[in-house]
Amino acid sequence: MNRLFWTAAAVAALGTGMGAQAALAEQHLPFAPGEGAFNWDSFEGLKDLGVEGEEIRIFGPWMGPDKDLFDSVVSYFNAATGAKATYSGSDSFEQQIVIDTGAGSPPNVAIFPQPGLASDLAAKGHLTPLAEGTEDWVRENYAAGQSWVDLGTFAGPDGNEDLYGFFYKSDVKSLVWYVPENFEDAGYEVPETMEDLKALSDQIVADGGTPWCIGLGSGGATGWPATDWVEDLMLRTQSPDVYDKWVNHEIPFDDPAVVAAIEEFGAFARNEKYVDGGSGAVASTDFRDSPKGLFSSPPKCYMHRQASFIPAFFPEGTLVGEDADFFYFPAYAGKDLGKPVLGGGTVFGITEDSKGAQAFIKFLQSPIAHEVWMAQKGFLTPHKGVNTEVFGDPTLKKMNQILLEADTFRFDGSDLMPGAIGAGAFWTGMVDYAGGADAKAVATQIEETWKSVE
Amino acid sequence: MEQIMWALFTMTAGVFGCVAYFFVANRVLDAALPARGENAGRNINRANAIRPWLFLFPALAVLGIYLVYPVLNSIWLSFTDASGTRFVGGDNWRWLAGDEKFRESLGNNALWLIVVPAASTFFGLIAAALTDRIRWGSFAKALIFMPMAISFVGASVIWKFVYDYRGEGSDQIGLLNAVVVALGGSPEAWITTPFWNNFFLMVILIWIQTGFAMVILSAALRGIPEETIEAAVLDGASPLQIFWRIKVPQIWGTIAVVWTTITILVLKVFDIVLAMTNGQWGSQVLANLMFDWMFRGGDFGRASTIALVIMLLVTPIMVWNIRNVRKEERR
Amino acid sequence: MSASNAIAGRSPALAWAVHLSVVLLVVLWTIPTAGLLISSFRDRDQISTSGWWTALAPAERNLVARSKAPDAARQEGGEWIIEGNVFDEEEGAGTVTAFGVSSRSPTAFAPGDVAERGDARITVQADGQYRIASEQQPEGRRGTRLFVTSKEPPRWTVENYRTVLFSEGIGRSFLNTMTVTIPATVIPILIAAFAAYALAWMEFPGRALLLAVVVGLLVVPLQMTLIPLLRLHNSIGIGKAYLGIWMAHTAFGLPLAIYLLRNYIAGLPREIIESARVDGATDFQIFLRIVLPLSYPALASFAIFQFLWVWNDLLVATVFLGNNEDQLVMTGRLRELLGSKGGEWEILAASAFVSIAVPIAVFFAMQKYLVRGLLAGSVKGG
Repeated sequence: MNRLFWTAAAVAALGTGMGAQAALAEQHLPFAPGEGAFNWDSFEGLKDLGVEGEEIRIFGPWMGPDKDLFDSVVSYFNAATGAKATYSGSDSFEQQIVIDTGAGSPPNVAIFPQPGLASDLAAKGHLTPLAEGTEDWVRENYAAGQSWVDLGTFAGPDGNEDLYGFFYKSDVKSLVWYVPENFEDAGYEVPETMEDLKALSDQIVADGGTPWCIGLGSGGATGWPATDWVEDLMLRTQSPDVYDKWVNHEIPFDDPAVVAAIEEFGAFARNEKYVDGGSGAVASTDFRDSPKGLFSSPPKCYMHRQASFIPAFFPEGTLVGEDADFFYFPAYAGKDLGKPVLGGGTVFGITEDSKGAQAFIKFLQSPIAHEVWMAQKGFLTPHKGVNTEVFGDPTLKKMNQILLEADTFRFDGSDLMPGAIGAGAFWTGMVDYAGGADAKAVATQIEETWKSVE
Repeated sequence: MEQIMWALFTMTAGVFGCVAYFFVANRVLDAALPARGENAGRNINRANAIRPWLFLFPALAVLGIYLVYPVLNSIWLSFTDASGTRFVGGDNWRWLAGDEKFRESLGNNALWLIVVPAASTFFGLIAAALTDRIRWGSFAKALIFMPMAISFVGASVIWKFVYDYRGEGSDQIGLLNAVVVALGGSPEAWITTPFWNNFFLMVILIWIQTGFAMVILSAALRGIPEETIEAAVLDGASPLQIFWRIKVPQIWGTIAVVWTTITILVLKVFDIVLAMTNGQWGSQVLANLMFDWMFRGGDFGRASTIALVIMLLVTPIMVWNIRNVRKEERR
Repeated sequence: MSASNAIAGRSPALAWAVHLSVVLLVVLWTIPTAGLLISSFRDRDQISTSGWWTALAPAERNLVARSKAPDAARQEGGEWIIEGNVFDEEEGAGTVTAFGVSSRSPTAFAPGDVAERGDARITVQADGQYRIASEQQPEGRRGTRLFVTSKEPPRWTVENYRTVLFSEGIGRSFLNTMTVTIPATVIPILIAAFAAYALAWMEFPGRALLLAVVVGLLVVPLQMTLIPLLRLHNSIGIGKAYLGIWMAHTAFGLPLAIYLLRNYIAGLPREIIESARVDGATDFQIFLRIVLPLSYPALASFAIFQFLWVWNDLLVATVFLGNNEDQLVMTGRLRELLGSKGGEWEILAASAFVSIAVPIAVFFAMQKYLVRGLLAGSVKGG
């Protein structure tokens, strides 16, 4: 009896040992545990989560290279805990998550590109509130922690507010991209204030060039790049307070403050001499094609305002930091509004509660979950506990610095508005405005749609 | 390998199951109500009353569960709020009546309904008639049919390369603008010009649906008895006369089918609009408006209401079809 | 057919007109696709900067090349020299027609001229050879930008097709698509043919109404049905599986199938069916022996459309099937090749042509059956 027991135990031990090894070899871990400047302690700490063998299905919008990167993050979770988490992505994530949660076959964890959608699902009772204490953790460990807590807090089906969303991976939107050597050739300096930026734009026109490339085209989502412009300009002309009221519909969309911000955008996009192709090309140029003007010979434009993801659409072989670089979309020196930063981020929510899903959210709080992606590419984080030494390239570090140093950080407003506005009327309105419609009239129409959905 | 075997097995099982159902069901009916013996007459009558339903049963069952039930569900949802749980009476309908985008969609849909079926059927008929006469006809048919085989995603990329617009002075990568510029005109942003952009979107659907019309009409044209044509040839009718006066009237029924099918498809069209404009620049259509409210607006109530409007619009076509059926039966 | 030939043969002018009109139609209908085909052999940067028709001819191109990095400089007679060629080895050479050293004036110099930038003297030859000479040792990590205008032969690449065809798991997805497509094409035809026969040739009360309802169901927007149906699948235990997607595709295809087939079958000559009835044939026998063989053209045309629809479908597949390796279909796999922010036109173009191959093959195979309509015609006449 005893002997039999021991033999069985030994076989089992051998089996799991080999199994674990095989699993490790199978999973692709780009950085060997224990090496480099990573927080490997946090990796070791995950081993106590006790979710070995648990299956966790994660569903999100990341595909292609982003999927590979997130897969590498997930594989560290699996390696540490022995769980079987799998990620799948879809470009029609928004539709599919609505269908899957509505039909009762949701994934365990869903990754929302916009908090608005997560909030809708929370209101319908399809999300599970995050574990007790997560709120305090975010408040303490994220830069501008309270704002991240607020952004992830939604009303549940009963109307009670709870923390449903955990932010992981963020973007900075207040960036202007340029080609440093073109600036050098022409003798231009990177502007430090909005006044300088406008003076520089005029200077470029005077020198016979075109300062901006602006493209709003994005197939069915045409118009969204303009909403980023307006939000950024809103933060540079009004206090954050007004911005929040605008996003929460405490002031009407056609408030003079909003109309003024739209007209600020018009000062760039509707100025024939400011934009490549003239203002007529703004609405129809695809946002993915638009930055290519920076790199043509002779340059079609000198500056391009777009979020941190845009280098993916630069011509092949472009080295960010050398061939192209960015500067902070500056604020007015004449207005005392500090250095506001507009950003975005993806929210993780639990769509089907399980021990594994809870453990995965725990994993996202560990520095290693952030560092693994940081060390590769295209990842920014407000997590204060990560070692910024591991950033894969210096520009990312520079961007993250903007994020960590922001006086005011505000989330992309259109992502927070109801879907019918932030992913509908606001887009179409901006397209109409770029096409020559009156700012006040456009704002009034958006306001009417907003009233109708409330 | 395992999957191939499994797939083959399930495929044959599925297909065989269907065949077996029809065969066995008929046998059972014949055995239960034999057309012989003392009750032969009554049995035949009864069997004749039951048999149509045997033939129809699988189709009705599938349609009932997969289409009728969701429709009933939508009717209920059209009287509820955004989450589909609270009854709100006629609110959604009232909202719809006052919504500007809805009126725009109705107008655009009317345009689509007139232009697309007419153009697709016309070109399909011409293509069918002409390609049947020449030796390389089947090759030409395949080429005209090809757009049907391309996914909507592919089609939207294809037409991006046709309608693309670059500012005046820079190189055009859109074919249409390149031609316009080469002829001395100035480039236009085709897709973003309100009203006219509807027609540029319709061209895409016509381009796709002509293949459909051509294949069906070609099958019908080939089914026309030779004798009627030969008689006309002997009477000295010109080929054009033969085509319009003799061939077309004979396939009138098929033309109506093609027309109806494309009309219904037009009511449902949304992929093209979604991919090219998403209803912006005044090009919204009903199906895309519904899609918008369902997935972007997150409002099942309003989405269902719009879906019902689409279904109501088809009522005239249904009435017309019932009349046709009645007429045939009187014949 | 013979009659038509006789007509065409009688008037050569008319024959020419027919040929020319067909050529015109074919050209109009294929040009957009041709554009995509050509684009699928170009790289992404080219696609978004020049029209596809320019890919066929030698093109003038403005490119920004970068010289070798300063550490490649060698000393020669008191000067530091960097030499190389502005053209990529892989992409092949063009002919330089002008060059410049500043983005402000990219065409300032003719090949062979000497341009000055700082203390460096820069020259580019017509064949792309450049030479940068300076007295000081050059510094920095990056080479100098050289702006070159060149005439280049067309450039082609099969890279896009390689990406699509050799992507991981594409073979498996092909199988999955087949597993979805074949039953989802055959089952609705079978079910619809029986129903169409009943609606066309059998007498029963409510026939017209039933037909009208079926036609009405043609217009049910697919998106409306997804949530209730998936909920149904989950509650009866099908979940996300092949059975569920077969049923869904069957249902979505049925209204059109019944409508098309009924109209065709109703148009079959009444005498044949009546005389078979008189001979004592049952409805089942009439259906199998007479109606089915005569309906080949209609069955074949519907089969083609259903096949295409299922083959190219992404929405129904993503809803009713999972995203895992066993169930991911071709369209889903191709979608995965695109980045999450889209814009990979070149991959889209290549994958559109990869996925079009099978449907076109099916069309050619089925065309034989479409031609059998001839038989139906001769029967009808007799």
